[in-house]
Formats: sequence, C-alpha cells, structure tokens
Amino acid sequence: MESSKKGTNVFLEISVCLTGFSKMELLGTGMLETYYNVMTNKNNLGVVEAFLTESAKILTKNKDNKDGLKNEILNNLIPDSLYDGLAQNIITMWYMGSWINEIISPQSYVQGMIWGVADAHPPGAKQPGFASWSMAPKKV
Amino acid sequence: MIQNKTYDVVIVGSGISGAVIAKTLTQAGKTVLLLEAGLTAGMNLDRNGNYHNYVDYLNTFYKAQIKVPNSPYPNIKDAPSINVIDMEPITATNSPSTVGYLVQAGPLPFASDCLRGPGGTTLHWLGSTPRMLPNDFRMKSLYGVGVDWPISYEDLMPYYEMAELEIGVSGDVNAIKWPEATTEKQQIALKNKNYGKDYVFPMENIPTSYIDGVVTGLVKGVNNNKPVKVNGKDTRIGFSITPQGRNSTPNKKYPYRDVIWDAKKKKLLLQTDKCWSTVLNAVIDIPKGEKYEYLPVGATWDPNTGQRCEGNASCVPICPVQAKYNALKTLFKSDRSKTTIKTQSVASRVIYDEKSGEITGVEYKTYRTADSLVYDTDIAKGKIYVLAASAIENAKILLASNAANSSDQVGRNLMDHLCLLTWGLLPEKGYPYRGPGSTTNMSSFRDGDFRKEHAAWICPIDNWGWAWPVFSPGSDLATALAKNIFGKELRDLLADSLPKQLLLHYECEQAPEPSNRVTIDPNYRDAIGNYRPVIHYDASDYMKKAFKAAKEINDQLFEAAGIQDFTTYSPTMAQDYVGYEGQGYNFWGAGHIVGTHRMGKSKKDSVVNKDCKTWDHDNLYLVGCGNMPTLGTSNPTLTMTALTFKAAEAILKQLEK
Repeated sequence: MESSKKGTNVFLEISVCLTGFSKMELLGTGMLETYYNVMTNKNNLGVVEAFLTESAKILTKNKDNKDGLKNEILNNLIPDSLYDGLAQNIITMWYMGSWINEIISPQSYVQGMIWGVADAHPPGAKQPGFASWSMAPKKV
Repeated sequence: MIQNKTYDVVIVGSGISGAVIAKTLTQAGKTVLLLEAGLTAGMNLDRNGNYHNYVDYLNTFYKAQIKVPNSPYPNIKDAPSINVIDMEPITATNSPSTVGYLVQAGPLPFASDCLRGPGGTTLHWLGSTPRMLPNDFRMKSLYGVGVDWPISYEDLMPYYEMAELEIGVSGDVNAIKWPEATTEKQQIALKNKNYGKDYVFPMENIPTSYIDGVVTGLVKGVNNNKPVKVNGKDTRIGFSITPQGRNSTPNKKYPYRDVIWDAKKKKLLLQTDKCWSTVLNAVIDIPKGEKYEYLPVGATWDPNTGQRCEGNASCVPICPVQAKYNALKTLFKSDRSKTTIKTQSVASRVIYDEKSGEITGVEYKTYRTADSLVYDTDIAKGKIYVLAASAIENAKILLASNAANSSDQVGRNLMDHLCLLTWGLLPEKGYPYRGPGSTTNMSSFRDGDFRKEHAAWICPIDNWGWAWPVFSPGSDLATALAKNIFGKELRDLLADSLPKQLLLHYECEQAPEPSNRVTIDPNYRDAIGNYRPVIHYDASDYMKKAFKAAKEINDQLFEAAGIQDFTTYSPTMAQDYVGYEGQGYNFWGAGHIVGTHRMGKSKKDSVVNKDCKTWDHDNLYLVGCGNMPTLGTSNPTLTMTALTFKAAEAILKQLEK
C-alpha cells in the first residue's frame, strides 16, 4: 500500500513536469489511479520502478532549480530510448487518454487534456452548449 | 409452417428512404413489412432499451482509436458494412483488394462508406442539407456532360419542402448565395424563384462557427484587394450558410405540421391543419386558430433531449443527444399497428415471374445472433416491393436477382464527391474542433460554364482542424514528442497551433461513367453466402482537371490571405492518388454513394422512371441515392429524401388504383 501511494505521488509530480499541467489539473481528470495502474501493468515492473526512482531523484535534487530540472528530464527521462519510452507514453496518456495507440477507456478519452489545450472539448463529450461555437472560447 | 402474410408493401432497409416510405405508407393505412439487416438492439422501440443501446454506440466511439464514420456501430459478419479503414491503394500485387467488405477491383479504391444497420447511414451522416441547383438537373443540355434528369428542379420543389420538414432543416433561404447572382437584386429574384417568396425552413440558421467568421473575413480582404484569378479573370469568392438537418431555434413563420396523404386528391401534401398523432395512431385535425410553432424532434429515447444542437462537435460519427436528424426518428412515427419490422434479416434477392415481370417475393436470411453463421431463409410477400438498402446494396440485390436490368445500367454510374483537401495555419486563431462539422460553404463554384470542362464543387469550411487528412490533434502531439518537446513548452506549442488549424475540402461532383460500377462475382461472398460488392472505380480527366482548378484557386487564396499552407499530396497521404499535368493529387471519399440505378426518361438507358419505379417490374420501386442520374454539388441526402416522398406518393397511387 505504502509503496503504491508513494508511486502515485512521484508519478503525479513527474507528470506535472512532463505534461505542463498543474497537479490540480491532472487530478481533476479523475484518471490518476487508472493511469498509474495502466503504466505499471503495461510495462516491465523493473523498468517502471527504475523510472520512478530516477524521477524522484531528479525532482528532489532540482527542487529549487527550474532549469536544472528541465535539463535533467530532457536528458535522463525524455529520450525514447530510455525506460522503454515511458516518459513520452505518459505524456500521450495524459493528453490523449491512450496508452500508445490504444484508448484506455471511454472515460480516458473524455478526459484527454489535449482538447482543453486546443480551447475545445473532446468531440462527443463535455458539450459547451448551443451557439457556443460561434464565439471565441472563454479563457480561464 | 405458418403461411407468410402478404403485406401491402415490403421494404428492404430502415435508413432514411426506407423509414420515409414506412412512415408515409402506414400513416396512409397500408401495412408494411420492413426488413433490416442490422442488429435487433439498434431497433429498440422501448425508450430505456433504445437509450442503453445508444450509450453503447457512444462508448464504442469514445473507445475507438480511429474515429471513422462507422466507428461507433457494430460491424457484423452477417451484414458487413464498408469501413474507410479498410481502403488501400490497389497495385499489381493486391488486385482486387479484399481486405474490407468491398472487393476493390480498382484501378482506384472507392473510398466512401455507408452503414448497414437500423437507421442506416443517417446515424453517422454530417447533416448538411443543401438542395441541388436547378442547372444540376440539366447537365447534358447545358454542359454536354452526363445526362439530364427526367424531372426538373421545379418538379422536385414540393418534395424538397416535404424532405425539409421530415429531416427538420435549420437554415435561412436568404443566406444561400446563388453562384450566378452578381447583384443583390438577382440574388433575391433567384431565392424567390427557387424557394418561393415566402418559404422558410422549419428552424432558423444554426449559428455559424467562429472560424467561419475568420475565414470569410480573410476572403473578403482577398476579394477586395487581390481577388483570385480564374483563367486570368478576377473572381470574387462567395459563401453560403449551409442548411442543416440538426435542431436549432424554431422559425415562428414556419407553417407546416406534417406531410399527409390526401386520398381524394391522390397526393402527398404538406399540412397546416392536420397532423399525425403518435399517441392516437391517427391523423388528427387541428382546431382552427390554435397557436402553432414547429416542434423540433428530439432523441428517440426522450423527446426533451436534443431539441437544439449542444455543440458536441461529433456530428460524424455520432450525435450524443440526437439533435442531428436520424432515420429512426421518422421510423418511430410510423403507425405501429401497421408496421412489422424484422431485424437481423438480410435480403439476398428478389424473385419475379419471368413472363409478367411481377415481383413475387424477397428472399431474406435471418441470422440468430451477431456473427452467427446460422440463419433461416424465408420469403417476404407484398403487393409492392421497395428496395431501400443503399446505392451499393440495392444494385447488388438486383444483380443477384438478374432483375430490373434490361437497360444494363444496374450497378453502373457509381458516383461520389471526390474531396480535394487543403489545410493550413490561419494567421489568427479560428478555434476549430467546436460546433457542427461545417456551417458555411464556399458556393461560387457550384455552377458555371466551366462545367463543360471540369467538375463543379462546393467547398465547406471545416470545423475539424486537420483531423481528416493527418489525424490531428494526436499527430501534432506525436510530432512534438518526436522532437523531445515536453512540459510547458509542449502545452504552449499545441495551444498556439491547434486553434489556428484550417481545413477546406473541395467536394468535386463526379460525372457518371458507366465503367465506375458495382458488380458481383460468385467467388466473393460474405459469411452467410450473400454477394460482396465488387467495385470498379476510377477518376476521369474531368475530375482531375477540377482538382487542378480548385487547387490553383486555393493556392492563390491561401497566399493572399496569409494562410500558411501545409497541404501535401503523396501516394501514402491517402489511398486515392492521381497525377494530372505533372502534379499529384490525393482525393478523399465524401460518403456520398450515388448513381447505381439511375432514373431516366427511357427504359433503354435507365433503371427507374421519374417515380422511382423500375421499368422492368411494375411492382418494384427503388429508393435512395442510387436513383440520382447526376450528383450536383450538394450532399445527396436531402434530394434523395425528396425523391423518396415522390416515390411514396406514386406507391400510394398505385395501391389505391
């Protein structure tokens, strides 16, 4: 239990850095637990643990160093050749609701973050109402 | 064994044309047997069951990785549907291509789909409902291309009005710009001539998209400052607001309540003082002076849901609230006491008396469950038979029956709109991915003398970003990730570029060619032994010349409007790739499958007469887009529905002779 809790925490924190969304934005999808489980189940557990350990290390080390954090993520996590491409797959999961090329669930599609980034909404869900499309989207 | 009942009419297919026939005939007191190839679950008349089935469709759509038009709906082996995912270029090593339901003999793959199932393709249609132009009916006399229709626009006008009521069209007749009108006076005169002075649609315009304002604004600047040149001549580009079969605000001036058979006049008539009551299962008279306002038809599971579009932006492939019309809305208005529906029942052929030509039955196979190979064969009996199974299936059934084909035209003249897509980044944000698929279209090139040389087109302003050609926004994310862009930089990049995406598609009117055709071959059958359609298809120079002309206009427009062009054509960009005068073009199918059993003036060169009755069989009617001799530049559903009302009237006349 304890280790899984810790795992989701690191997963959430590193997801913030990978995706560009705040903790609250990511939590607000309601998908954190599911996505954490998908990541661990779709991959070699050793690779996942190594990825999370490295993530935790980078996060702690660069707590007060934005540029350092960015550089270490870029060099030690992001390249597709590292950790079976886990970092990029996590980004895709949050943005698209899919693990690589497979939508995880109807709900994960609806919670895809990319639609909000485009100032839109997932087609077929979260409909903004009659005539909303004739106006510029509301900025939060 | 129970003796099969003889119905007044046997209908094959529950899409919009079958539903209009069933509704109109049963409301006029006739008994109908409707055969539907798709699953029973999709025909659920009970509201709760109907809702649960629809939620299944919706969740299947959410879960689909590639959200193509048929992605929400079951594709069953006993009655397979065409799927655009199954298309591939046809080469020396894969001819014919057999990966999908269609057997594609080429040389080009036919890249459009339709849906076999309750409600038919109206479940996934976009819902654009422009009428054809008067000149579209006279292509041979005016431009020397294709054939003339056996009827004129004026002949079809009353039926267009019926179709617009049935579908529930939102629009503004004044916002439809006529290509030949150069002055406001001409515009009004043409509107009055082609729609009638006082005509209004049942509902007001669907509000136009924000992106339409951005694009038309840019084009206005181009028109004023640096108009595009067509054959060296300055040409100003005009736009129309697209009439649509999706619910908007009722137009208070709209007077009609229903389309009802007048037995005395032997006519179908739009009614202001009577309507059909689904509660009483009867035509009721409206008390004089009762206040009336058109009531939008909501979801099949709840009339209060879907009375106005809510902006789900997923018209194709599924409207979650059914604010977009689908044929089940019409079918559920049938007189239920006179309607018998048999689902999971696939028509395989019509049987006829060799001497008289009279149809004596429709053979159909009823399968037990989805993908089951077990089925029962039976014969449906009626006085009159109506095939409403889609252009491709109608042709297939007739060919399998060796019926209605003394003209040798069955299956021939298969047509579609060939869509030349262009995409770029707007100089400012237009915010696509919101609202109906398209609300405005470039209408200037729908007609003109150029049709002697190349195809006409309509060009909708799309609301889907670059989703159609390159699978945005997923592909934009993948491109950024391939460059190791992440975090805030990734978010900002996408937030800046996605809202600027613009997609246009030039829907070019395919001319009829006898060699573009549906055939059958005993070597290719489906799981329960019915024929699979074998398609022979190509794009003529008349089409390729239109691609060139449209692209030249598009390129000038993009440049003058400051739209950064990202359009690329290649053999791998889409399955259909053609070369013309040293330039390559991709085209995409529009899903407008038309022309396989065309109507005409003579039995020598057409399959049906102007009432959609086959020349060869006095009690066999064909309805659907297969009847259309030419396609025009409008989405065909509205015209097909108008023709279907005309057919329903002719059937009633024949039954009441």
